[in-house]
Amino acid sequence: MNPSEIDWEKFSEITGKHQGEKWGLIPLLQEIQESIGFIPPEAIESIADTLNLHPSQVQGVITFYSGFSTEPKGKCVLKVCRGTACHVKGGKSILRMIQKDLNLEEGETSPDYQFTLETAACLGACFLAPAMMVDREYYGKLNPIKVTSVLGEYRKDKGED
Amino acid sequence: METIALTINGKRISCPEGKSILEAAESHGIKIPKLCYHHSLQPFGACRLCLVEDKKTGRLFASCVTPAAQDMVLLSDSPQIIKHRRNIISLMMAEHPESCIVCNKGNRCQLRMIAAELGIGENHLYPMPNPKPLEQANPFIIRDLSKCILCGKCIRADHELVCAGAIDYNSRGFKSRPATLHELPLEKSTCTFCGTCVSICPTGALSTKTDFAGTPERESASICGFCGIGCNLTLGVVGNQIVDVNPSHIEKSVNDATLCVRGHFAHDFLNSTQRLTKPLVRKEKKLTPASWDEALGTIANQLLEIKKQHGPESIAFLGSSKCSNEENYLFQKIARGIVETNNVDSGGYISGRLFLSLIEGRADKAGRFNFFAGPLSGLEQAEVIFVLGAEPAQTAPVLDYYLKRSVKKGIPLIVANPGKGSLTGHSSISIHPSGSPLSNQNFLDTFYLELINLISVQLLEKEATDTSFMSRFTNGYEKYKTDLLSLDQKVSVKKANLDIHAINNAVDLLAGKKITFVIGDELMLQRYGKEVMEALLNLALMTGSIGYKGAGFHVLAKENNLVGAWDMGTVPETLPGRLMINDENDRNIWEKAWETKIPRTRGLDLFQMIKKAEEGRLKAIYIMGENPLRSLPQPNLLFKSLESLEFVVVQDILFNETVTIADVVLPGAAFSEKAGSFTNMEGKIQCFSPALRPPGNAKSDLEILGLIAEKMGFPEYKNTHEGIRKEISSTLSTYSETTACKHPIWIRERNQEQGNIDEEQIRFSPVASSKETLWDNDYPYTALFESLRFHLGSGTRTEHSIRISTCDSKGEIEVSPVDAKKMNLIKDDRIKVTSLTGELERTVKVNRDIRSGFIHIPTAYNHNDARHLIQLAPLLDASSNGWDSCQVSIIKVDRVNDRQLER
Ligand code: SF4
Ligand code: SF4
Ligand code: SF4
Ligand code: FES
Ligand code: FES
Repeated sequence: MNPSEIDWEKFSEITGKHQGEKWGLIPLLQEIQESIGFIPPEAIESIADTLNLHPSQVQGVITFYSGFSTEPKGKCVLKVCRGTACHVKGGKSILRMIQKDLNLEEGETSPDYQFTLETAACLGACFLAPAMMVDREYYGKLNPIKVTSVLGEYRKDKGED
Repeated sequence: METIALTINGKRISCPEGKSILEAAESHGIKIPKLCYHHSLQPFGACRLCLVEDKKTGRLFASCVTPAAQDMVLLSDSPQIIKHRRNIISLMMAEHPESCIVCNKGNRCQLRMIAAELGIGENHLYPMPNPKPLEQANPFIIRDLSKCILCGKCIRADHELVCAGAIDYNSRGFKSRPATLHELPLEKSTCTFCGTCVSICPTGALSTKTDFAGTPERESASICGFCGIGCNLTLGVVGNQIVDVNPSHIEKSVNDATLCVRGHFAHDFLNSTQRLTKPLVRKEKKLTPASWDEALGTIANQLLEIKKQHGPESIAFLGSSKCSNEENYLFQKIARGIVETNNVDSGGYISGRLFLSLIEGRADKAGRFNFFAGPLSGLEQAEVIFVLGAEPAQTAPVLDYYLKRSVKKGIPLIVANPGKGSLTGHSSISIHPSGSPLSNQNFLDTFYLELINLISVQLLEKEATDTSFMSRFTNGYEKYKTDLLSLDQKVSVKKANLDIHAINNAVDLLAGKKITFVIGDELMLQRYGKEVMEALLNLALMTGSIGYKGAGFHVLAKENNLVGAWDMGTVPETLPGRLMINDENDRNIWEKAWETKIPRTRGLDLFQMIKKAEEGRLKAIYIMGENPLRSLPQPNLLFKSLESLEFVVVQDILFNETVTIADVVLPGAAFSEKAGSFTNMEGKIQCFSPALRPPGNAKSDLEILGLIAEKMGFPEYKNTHEGIRKEISSTLSTYSETTACKHPIWIRERNQEQGNIDEEQIRFSPVASSKETLWDNDYPYTALFESLRFHLGSGTRTEHSIRISTCDSKGEIEVSPVDAKKMNLIKDDRIKVTSLTGELERTVKVNRDIRSGFIHIPTAYNHNDARHLIQLAPLLDASSNGWDSCQVSIIKVDRVNDRQLER
């Protein structure tokens, strides 16, 4: 998702739905994150207005949860596990391999907004170690070949778009 | 409420249900260390220092967030707990920077104190990297978040106490810090620089910007000398200088843990080089240093001589809404008793004392009943709050905090203001006059009066009146009702171009409720100020909104002792205790006490003094603690008329505009340099004692007045502040508690009980309505004058605060985007604003909240040049223009030319 393409109409539709709602912040943020791909920092004040909160409070919630991001993310978000189980099974080299392949450091997004690379403390799939997630899909028992094919699939995905 | 019994450290204690273990322990003198707990904030449980151990199970609780329960047996300092505490503090210290050694919190840092108590000095933990101190361009607050222990007190104070929302936690884990939106510097956030977070921060993470590093030598309790909230302060003193100011530690003070930017940061004005330090006497047209004896002798001789030659009516006394009660009392006593004139007024003339008199004038004589709402804490129990013509966020910020906290509690708030103020976003309904640049009709003048009339009629039509209240306590209702009902609502709506939907909503909200009114300075400076106030009093009677808990009127006092000066008789028509000059019995009371005759007719008010001076009929004026040449409109005119006087005495603390025309100048003392009492806008009398010595040869104003009386042949007038309190309380029973004055008693409780006023009835006043006025096409814009929180009044004192004068706010004129476009203006362009009476030049900024046709001009800046635009006309007089606004024309001043001129 390219940041220049923020769908402000969609945005107002979402805030309009939650206008004045009590406890509405997290659901509202989730919806924005989902449909816009990130929470534009310049939108924080209007979100706060919608719910009668202080903008600083809204920012606090956004930056507290890793599920929210104030930067546009790639179309596919990779989460590579760095937990103990995965580490023991070579998670570190898997991460290194992906970094090299995508030419991305942790937390970075590719210039074409196709990929964002993140890590997680444990994906809760230790029995599949070493593991990673792409968006909501789990990929376990990774090895270099599997990684290449998974990445290829998501690249191919782009081609079809 | 149930009482709970529990045991802590073997001591059996009890507390009401719902208290936390910590509160229970503290109320019995058991000390438990704590870092994130504060009695005014919601408990948070972040620091885990307040651990207690359950003796039976060995479980640990954070005592600040655990409710006390029946039969708990707890330990607060078992070896296990001490071990935990030491660990917590060690971890905090490991994260603390070395700059801890030079820290402004110094020995007051709670982290250091607790570390010392636990004996944690050297730390064998690996030091953690800290974030860099933040660059702060503002002159008030330094944030060095490397010292932050994440107790969250600043954030909670910012949200819960002052409701600014400038900061909140940002990020998580090690990166977590209190931050502004987008991590911008404070001056780019919604921060008001109230400094509340600075005082509450237990470490040096937040501190006051100052040249001084370390701990003050001593702390001294005081009362803020700026606005009428009368915040309780703790002054930190080194040598003979105030180095920092914090809210006092007294619980249940009017301000609790809060202050505003002026109280917290502007008291550095006291160190100004412009302080008056010796008496001056004009010799050969020049003010020349003189001895006290010479200066006082000159004053006594001249005043007595002028009295002999021209009569007592040729002398006037201008007392001060900034000086103490005792000083104002003695000041008017000298005027009435020695000079024998009632020509006494105070600077309160322009900041609200006229309203106080108006309200008081309607109350019953016995004073058992009054319209004033009393303590501000009542706001948090109000049924509905109606704010008119006030912008407390700027003029009395602590009141603004009260209002915003009330809204958070769910109390409905209605706001009627000329512009979009800081309360608008918090209000249930906000009503503004419409301004249309296309029409030349002046809707501003008619706005408040027609609004109140419409609300009153509609409430009447809805039968939302308190008939039992009215029949018991009032008279004249039938006539009032008929008059009100005969008002043509359509005409009212049209005259003021009102938004009828907003009014209908307001009426729905008000119906059946007791109303708490907050009325501000803008209302008093209005053309129809008097009529609006009378209409509001009628509305209060009709709805039974007086003498009822929390209901009634809060009159915003812009100056610290506005109420006290009025109460102490620095008024042309009333004596101390608000006894009437023209009432023989009232007069007798004070004549007996002073063993003198008091003239029977009211004296001149401030405006009339100026007029009489102009006509040559006033010969001398004694001005104490006021700077009319800076605060009043049309200074050139004023200068001429005061200059022409034979004799002018100015007693003040700063070399100000008015000093320049004085024949004798007496150096007085600031509140921090003397003892006395101030009465705040709640009517609470608060005492203070000196923290410093007056500079140079300056003396306390009370001492000066005593010496003058003595020189004039009345040595018995000389008195101490205790003596004066005794004199007052032995004369008037309402001040019976006045002699024992520690901190902060001498409070005159006002009777809030409804139902004990059956003897005298309160009358309704006639219904008034406004006349349409037209704008002069030569002056197509309306200038609204507004105070900003950085300055008090005309800025005589705050101008000398280095912090205030170096802050970002430079008094830019605010214009609407539409008008900016029309005039081709962008930020920092210069404009010349001209009215019928004068002109000024300033830079502009564009503000979305300003409606087109209006410009907002902050007062106090540039020697308060805004006063040039206003016409010097009597206040509360519908036949003359108000002081709240005026018609102006605007031209853009060429920036290039401007720069050449400067060269
Ligand atoms: S100074 Fe006042 S407004 Fe600013 S952050 Fe601190 S508490 Fe909030
Ligand atoms: S800045 Fe001070 S008050 Fe705020 S969280 Fe840090 S230590 Fe606590
Ligand atoms: S100026 Fe008023 S609100 Fe501010 S600290 Fe002083 S008394 Fe309090
Ligand atoms: S450690 Fe990798 S999924 Fe749990
Ligand atoms: S004081 Fe109880 S957890 Fe901080």
